[in-house]
Amino acid sequence: MQYLDKPFNQVVFFVVISIFLSFSSNLVRKDSIPLLAKKLEITEDIDLDSDESTLTAISLDKAKEFFENGVLFIDARDEVYYNEGHIRNAMKNVFLMELIFNIEDKQTKEDPIVVYCGDPGCGDSEDLAYDLQNEGFKKLFVFKGGWLEWSAANYPADRSNE
Amino acid sequence: MNKEIEKYLVIICRLILGGVFIYASLDKIANPAEFAKAVGNYHVLPFGMENLVALILPWVELIVGVCIIAGILVDGSSILIIIMNVIFIFAISQALARGISIECGCFSTSSDSGSAIGINTIIRDIGYLIMGFIVLKRKSKWMEFFPKSI
Repeated sequence: MQYLDKPFNQVVFFVVISIFLSFSSNLVRKDSIPLLAKKLEITEDIDLDSDESTLTAISLDKAKEFFENGVLFIDARDEVYYNEGHIRNAMKNVFLMELIFNIEDKQTKEDPIVVYCGDPGCGDSEDLAYDLQNEGFKKLFVFKGGWLEWSAANYPADRSNE
Repeated sequence: MNKEIEKYLVIICRLILGGVFIYASLDKIANPAEFAKAVGNYHVLPFGMENLVALILPWVELIVGVCIIAGILVDGSSILIIIMNVIFIFAISQALARGISIECGCFSTSSDSGSAIGINTIIRDIGYLIMGFIVLKRKSKWMEFFPKSI
């Protein structure tokens, strides 16, 4: 037991015991959760007229379809990247409260929004989508391919040199 | 500081910290999925890690809370309380700086608990942080049972 005389060892002891208890209790409980949260899955079957709240990922094709239907796009990247080029008419990401005012100038919280960032590996679009969900927005779609896929497909865009 | 006063101050800090951390842990242990969402809302962890934190953190809070009151491994308990409060203060500050209005998730996992983060949350955590240091830097080991007081 002399091992536990040192404060550092006590910290390690607490952490190990906590990990053991948390994992074992999670194993036996009915409402257990996975150890790692699942990433957003891409969904193709989307009903925009449904009243249900949604936060899901969409493919390039779906993003293009939404774009053609006039759905609002928000660019979650930094302003510098936005200014270099963005999906046509996409809204710029600003301070969250200002962004919400800008969105609500155009539509209600029940209307769909597509959020995107640079490429499939960036997390800004998901982060922003969760922030907007917390603020009461009901239909949020994360276009995972982002600016990389959109510009590679030569879809409508606003660029700084145009 | 007068030894007698310090002795009682440390005990008061231990009781407050222990009570707060035990209370804070219970709802989180009961609702891990809800707490994982609360952790995720802060956006400080790589995606997916919020579940791990939501599972382990409440147990650390509970065990540390019980031990600091019971006078068991008080050094380790106070160090962990300090570390946790530094992390909480950082997480809340960055959320406020980014303009995110979220529930604290500190004592209740409910999304309508009315405990939105704010400057007051940070001040409260700084208070706990100071108490943690008072316990860690104590000279008197009164009412401590393991490791045995010298």
